[in-house]
Amino acid sequence: MFKDLDPILHAQLRLAVVSLLISVKEAEFTFIKEKTNSTAGNLSVQLNKLKEAGYIDISKQFRDNYPLTICRITRKGIEAFESYVNALQSYMKKD
Amino acid sequence: MEDKSLTHEESLHLINSMINKAKETYHNTGIGAMLWGTVIATCSLVKLSELHFGYRLPFDIFLLTLLAVIPQVFISIREKRKKKFKSYDDIFMDYIWLGFGICIFLLIHVNNAVFVSLKPVAIEYAQLTGHPSAFRYNEFINPLFLILYGLPTFITGAACKFKPMLWGGILCWVCSVIAVYTTVKIDLLLTAISAIAAWLIPGIIMEKEYRQAKKQQQQDV
Repeated sequence: MFKDLDPILHAQLRLAVVSLLISVKEAEFTFIKEKTNSTAGNLSVQLNKLKEAGYIDISKQFRDNYPLTICRITRKGIEAFESYVNALQSYMKKD
Repeated sequence: MEDKSLTHEESLHLINSMINKAKETYHNTGIGAMLWGTVIATCSLVKLSELHFGYRLPFDIFLLTLLAVIPQVFISIREKRKKKFKSYDDIFMDYIWLGFGICIFLLIHVNNAVFVSLKPVAIEYAQLTGHPSAFRYNEFINPLFLILYGLPTFITGAACKFKPMLWGGILCWVCSVIAVYTTVKIDLLLTAISAIAAWLIPGIIMEKEYRQAKKQQQQDV
C-alpha cells in the first residue's frame, strides 16, 4: 500500500522552501529567495500556501527601518516533510 | 524556480540540493577567534616577560581579557545581523562558548578563594619551619585554564568539521598535561602557544575562507 504524496509539498518551489527550512532554525525571506532562485512574487504566494497549511510560521519585523520577513518550519511542517520523504522512498523502492 | 510538479527522483534530488545549500552558506568570519587568540597570547607573553625580566606593570595584564569582551559583543551582534538565517549549530555553539565564558570566570573566582585560604597556611608554615613552602598553587593554575580552553575548541572543531580547531583543542590538553610538571614561566609560554594554535591560526584560516566564499558569492550573483 503506497501513501499519496502530499500535494502541498509535491511542488518544486514549496518543496525547495521546506527542504531549506528543515535544515535551519529560521531564515529570512531574502535568503530563501536567493537559494531557491525564485521571484519575490512567486515566493510570497508559495510561502502563504505553506503558512495556510500550517507548515511554516511567518513573522514580520523591522530592521533599520526596513521590513524583515522571517520564516520557520512548524512541528506540523516537519511531520509532513518526514511523511513526504517516507512516501517518496516507498515509491522509489517499488520503481 | 517554477511551481511545477516533480518526479520522485527530481523531488529527492531537490531535497538533497536544498539541504546542502543551507549547509554550505555559512562561513565563520574568524574575527572572534583571532581576537581571543591574540589577547590570550599577548597576556601570557607579557606576564612571562614580567617574571623573566623582573618588572611589574601597574595592573594585571590578564584584565585585558575583560576589556576584550566589549569588542566581542560588538563582533557577535554584527555577525548575527549580517546572517540571513539561524542554524541549529549556531545555537549549540552560542551555548558552548557562553558556558565556556562562565566557567572561566568561575575558575578565576575559585582560584582567588584558594589563594586567600592558602595565604595564612603558607605564612604559618614559613614561621614554623623557617623557610617558605615548596608548594606553589600558582603552578597548577595554567593547566586548569588550558583544560578549559581545550573543551569548546575541540567541540567546535569537531562539530564544524574544522580540523585546525580540533587539533588546537587537543594541543591545549597536551599543553595542560605538560604544564603540570613545568615552571610558571613555561606554563605561560605553553598558554601563549595554545592560544595561537587553538584560536589565532584557525581564526586566520576561517577569515581567509570567509573572504573567498564572499568573493565567490559575489561572482555567482
